[in-house]
Amino acid sequence: MTGYIIRRLFWLPIILLAVSFLSFAIARFGPGDPVAVAAGQFRDPEVLARVRAERGLDASLPEQYWRWLTGAVRGDFGESFLQRGFTVSELIFPKMWVSAQLGFVALVIVFGLGIPLGLIAAKLNGTWLDPLIVSVLLFFRAIPVLVLIPPLLWLFALKLRWLPVGGWDGLFDVYWIGGVIAIPIPDPHVYLPLLAFTIGGFAGVARLVRFTALEVTREDYIRTARAKGLPEGTVMMRHILPNSLLPVVTVIGFALAGIIEGAFFVETLLGIPGIGRFLFEAVRSRDYDTIMAATVIFAGVFVIMNLLVEITYSFIDPRVRLGASR
Amino acid sequence: MSGTNRVLAILLGVLAVLVLAVGGLSAVLLLSGGEDAGGGGSSGITTGGAGGSGTKGGRAAQGQLRLPSSDPVTLDPHLAGDALSAEYIVEIFSGLVTINPKLEIVPDLAESFDVSPDGKQYTFKLRGDIFFHSGRPVTAQDFKWSFERAASPELASPLAISYLGDIIGTRERFFGIAKNIKGLEVVDDKTLRFTLDAPKPYFLAKLTYPTAFVVDRQQVEANPRNWTRQPNGTGPYRLREWRLGERIVLTANDRYHLGAPKLKEVLYLLAGGSALTRFENGELDVAPISVNDIDRARDPNSALNKLYSTWTDFSIFYIAFNTKVPPFDDVNVRRAFAMAIDRKKIAQVTFNNMVLPATGILPPELPGFTKNDKTYSFDPGRARTALKQSKYGDRLPPVVLTEVGGGAQAGIDTQAFVEQWKTELGVTVEIRQTDFATFLADQDAGRLQMFNGGWIMDYPDPEDILDLKFHSDSRLNDVKYSNSALDRLLDQARTERDVEKRLRLYQQAEELIIKDAAWIPLYFPQRHIVVASRVKGWFDPPMVIPRLRFVEVVR
Repeated sequence: MTGYIIRRLFWLPIILLAVSFLSFAIARFGPGDPVAVAAGQFRDPEVLARVRAERGLDASLPEQYWRWLTGAVRGDFGESFLQRGFTVSELIFPKMWVSAQLGFVALVIVFGLGIPLGLIAAKLNGTWLDPLIVSVLLFFRAIPVLVLIPPLLWLFALKLRWLPVGGWDGLFDVYWIGGVIAIPIPDPHVYLPLLAFTIGGFAGVARLVRFTALEVTREDYIRTARAKGLPEGTVMMRHILPNSLLPVVTVIGFALAGIIEGAFFVETLLGIPGIGRFLFEAVRSRDYDTIMAATVIFAGVFVIMNLLVEITYSFIDPRVRLGASR
Repeated sequence: MSGTNRVLAILLGVLAVLVLAVGGLSAVLLLSGGEDAGGGGSSGITTGGAGGSGTKGGRAAQGQLRLPSSDPVTLDPHLAGDALSAEYIVEIFSGLVTINPKLEIVPDLAESFDVSPDGKQYTFKLRGDIFFHSGRPVTAQDFKWSFERAASPELASPLAISYLGDIIGTRERFFGIAKNIKGLEVVDDKTLRFTLDAPKPYFLAKLTYPTAFVVDRQQVEANPRNWTRQPNGTGPYRLREWRLGERIVLTANDRYHLGAPKLKEVLYLLAGGSALTRFENGELDVAPISVNDIDRARDPNSALNKLYSTWTDFSIFYIAFNTKVPPFDDVNVRRAFAMAIDRKKIAQVTFNNMVLPATGILPPELPGFTKNDKTYSFDPGRARTALKQSKYGDRLPPVVLTEVGGGAQAGIDTQAFVEQWKTELGVTVEIRQTDFATFLADQDAGRLQMFNGGWIMDYPDPEDILDLKFHSDSRLNDVKYSNSALDRLLDQARTERDVEKRLRLYQQAEELIIKDAAWIPLYFPQRHIVVASRVKGWFDPPMVIPRLRFVEVVR
């Protein structure tokens, strides 16, 4: 397995190189450039040419790409046009961190509620409760975030006045007891985004778990296990749960990779300074270096999560052997 | 069911552990990173209490004003070209002259200035009591260094030539030919002299823009990349905190030379959803009103109505024709298009009268503005006649209108225009939407046949729109309009020193442009806002000027 992991990691830089080259090419060959966008109303061609030269945008494309690459290898992702005086790293990592905090908590809730709910629905298969749960889940799954947020805002912020309308002030507020013990309490700003993130999400997970659990329950070995007289709890924990978790692990892996990408709609509607909204702006303004850095980081995280998913497979399912000779 | 319960219990246990782990992690971060970890990756910038040895005279500033906003593109006055950045910059920094709430150009860091008889030399005398926030006195050398930095090739500011280009030697400095700006000399510690390439009556107006502001040489040289995070300015407010994407806090500069601010602190909230919803929830003191809420604000019975006000803006929306490209190379076609649309009706129906139908090119309150409507009014009969008189008759080549947009739907007023051109003129206009960057690239390359545009005035002088957008020599003339009679008027106005005479020249120029229909002026946008009753003295000027020190917040 170690060999397999090393081989996969060997491919990582090559994949990143390809991704960076592609996103470089797409951005540069797209119409418009960040200098014109940043200049606003005063776009004297002679002045813009001077600004481009100063920012190294007049060099040949291979030269620009090489300059970007050598910088990126050293961890220097360049400087943003959207926010002058800040390096790309200073801009995107804090925003990714905001998105990741929210995304991670949302994931924990989504899977923490989704998995047991799915198992319960599977268990209740055949009774009237199962179709009820499924249809309620379908209902939640079908609400787009765009539609969901305004009524949530109206209810919790304007009507009940329990929560602020939007914004971000960190995940937790810390309350000190006697100046010694710190108790983290979720900040009031996090409830609405979490609600928006999770309502559709946990329904999706629950449906997936229900489906795979039902599949597994019909397998012969489950019948055998029950026939052996194993207690129902053991059948559930030993046999049904691990075997129905394989697809869930895949979903978790990719979802974990996705949390750093942020969520444009939730972030925009609730005013959260996350990476989703920022990247949208960056693409709109042709902020080359920001686009490049984000794409490459996302690609890297995705590859690593994918690898972790495969490794987890081999633990959950002994039949999966990584790198076994084909 | 006991099995299920156990599974549930275990899973909930796992969940609890995870939640605690996240909580613990955050708590650790909070403890290690001070107050910053809540926002994550330390973009928080807190400047220490630089300078300011307490209040001198008068009562201390008090109160906190909470405004919705976003991150400025930059706080470097010499690089900023957008209104949002300027809004912060004019409060933190200042220049020789400024614009007061009555929109008059008045001395700021300068005490007085003299203009030579030929109108080419400006001599500024600095005040004796001017200091950076750090306490260091501001001298004429600081200004010279600041101007030369603003125009330096290394800074490559896209605004340097536009704002400082009238000073002899600015272009040479910008393009790396000269090391200094020749037309800028320090006479003594408190005296500064500019020599211009021609008498330019709008030169003073340009000096009110951030490009001409003074910055602290020591600070910039010590930290050229990051100094704007704790800028040492000369304005009525100091930057106390800037957390990217979260908040900006300004605090009163009690030693401000034009009078200490009454308002102690201004909190700009950079995150957060709908501003009006937050305003109604008591989280903000000022909020803009959108078209969705305008009826509520106008309803005399609503709570919002008492807090609602409308303000003009020095800007204009228009439709521009490329006057060198068929069919708009024929003035009759342009006139026909202008007369076939009913802007008043469309302003009423699609914008709920939140914009004023344009009466010309110069917006209200701008020097030179006249009340009478100079534009072509809606007249389908004359429009059809004009089209028939054109060299194209009614057989026009394909017409494409380009606008910025990303949706599947065109701007609602654009749809109305297209509909009217179809019904009144029988002309089918295709709408093409592009994103902003593409739009700019196409516009600069002269690839657009007809487009939806907007212009925001940068300084209160008609030159800033009429000359820049329509003089045949101007690089910003993106409609390729060229009219020697107009050029003569504009040339004359550039150097005319009699104010009244000069404004009349611009009014003639405006009429000429409208008659030739190089643009169809559409609307003058208006600002619709609500202001909490605890805020006193709030005003929304038609352009960016320092204003926070005139505002008060009462309990």
